[in-house]
Amino acid sequence: MATEEKATGFIDRLSIMADNLLKVATTKAPIGQTPRQAIWTLNKATLYRYTPVTEQKHPVPILLVFALMNKSSIMDLRPGNSFVEYLLSKGYDTWLLDWGTPGPEDAQNGLGDYALEYLPRAVRKLKSYAGVETFTLLGWCIGAMLSTIYSSLRGERDGLQNLILLTAPLDFSKPEAISLAAMTEERYFDVDRVLQAYGNMPAGLIDYGAKMLKPVENFVGGYARLLDNLDNPKVVESWHAMNTWVNDPIPLPGAAFRQFIVDFYRGNKLMKGSLRVRGELVDLSKLTANVLNVIGEDDHITPPCQSENLLEKLGSTDKQLLRVPGGHIGLMAGSAAAKGTWPKIESWLSAHSG
Amino acid sequence: MSHEKKPFTVSGAVRSARDSMLEDFARLALAVTTTNAWRKVNAAVMKPTLIVSAVVKEKRDEAMADVLEKLNMPSRQEVTNVAQRLTRIEMALDDIGAGLDQLRKQSAAPRPQLSNGHGHDRPVKEA
Repeated sequence: MATEEKATGFIDRLSIMADNLLKVATTKAPIGQTPRQAIWTLNKATLYRYTPVTEQKHPVPILLVFALMNKSSIMDLRPGNSFVEYLLSKGYDTWLLDWGTPGPEDAQNGLGDYALEYLPRAVRKLKSYAGVETFTLLGWCIGAMLSTIYSSLRGERDGLQNLILLTAPLDFSKPEAISLAAMTEERYFDVDRVLQAYGNMPAGLIDYGAKMLKPVENFVGGYARLLDNLDNPKVVESWHAMNTWVNDPIPLPGAAFRQFIVDFYRGNKLMKGSLRVRGELVDLSKLTANVLNVIGEDDHITPPCQSENLLEKLGSTDKQLLRVPGGHIGLMAGSAAAKGTWPKIESWLSAHSG
Repeated sequence: MSHEKKPFTVSGAVRSARDSMLEDFARLALAVTTTNAWRKVNAAVMKPTLIVSAVVKEKRDEAMADVLEKLNMPSRQEVTNVAQRLTRIEMALDDIGAGLDQLRKQSAAPRPQLSNGHGHDRPVKEA
């Protein structure tokens, strides 16, 4: 009798594992599901306002800006593991600027176009639609870079009250500590030749470069972890959502990519104070909003040295550095984020959103 | 404090062996991919690939432009130009819309009340 039960249990388990394996191999997980409304569009960019789930408790809305080369759905990965959902539950008026997927016609778009044409217009719409004069800006990865440029040049004029930077790649003064910097050195990587061949920086090449920073973990380790947990629906669901997001990168507009490599990786112009965007000098001392700079201690894509010395360059009087455990994405979308990073950010935000 | 020893299982042993092998591979792969020799090899492979890709792209675009011209259809470059122009028009319209919004708000705002200069409102004369 006991043997029969054991056999049945084993078969059930095998069947669950087969179902889960089939699901992750043949489908994409539904991500970015929190209800929202498109308020404004420009070219491929869309400004969304999330539907509140509770009474609004903070008068200052928050605008989320993600990187250009991955989809912004990481901000709202899946129910129960979504930063957007968390902000809404805490009573924030939450907005997202999604850059969209660039086409060949966007190859000439530089960082200045995004920071000084798209972002200010999105902010203008947000303020007019929400009927507010001030707002909080949260930028992640290249989104943090664009937010910093925007905040230095337009922040004060536009009523930027708070700036939150997540894993911001801004300081390239220690290239030996930045794996991607070594990979994109002039003698190994001809950025103009890449753009001549493709126009935009292909999503596949960006993805390959990022994954090669930890090749075994990225190409094998993740699948081994899945295999170990194939009979655990919770783990499979979470893995599936993250895998869907990771394997859906988008190209980076050519001109923006070139600036990123030449002016940032190779020239470190922002920190040196010589970065010019559309003819305007980006002076970090003119950034006067309250700043929270969040660094992932285990971030191998944007290591801590890339923004830990940023605060001393800023003109803000209220600025704080927050170190949290986790990697480039894991610090906000990992299983520990909901109990670690998010409450810390929210606690700072709540104190600055009055 | 006592440490409970996990009972031995074949799957556990296999998993443990696999994990330690993966760790070794990860260390080895990282040691290889962070060397200058690896970067040089990558660059050496990439360079001819990119040159060929660029030439193929150029020739393909030229051939396609020829065909499209004969069919009296716009080329990729012309479509790209139109798309860029549309974005600029979109931006101009956005600015006009924002300007109109501001005007509407200003006109809807309550007008300042007339004062007689002594801190009292001027009485309105009735006809």
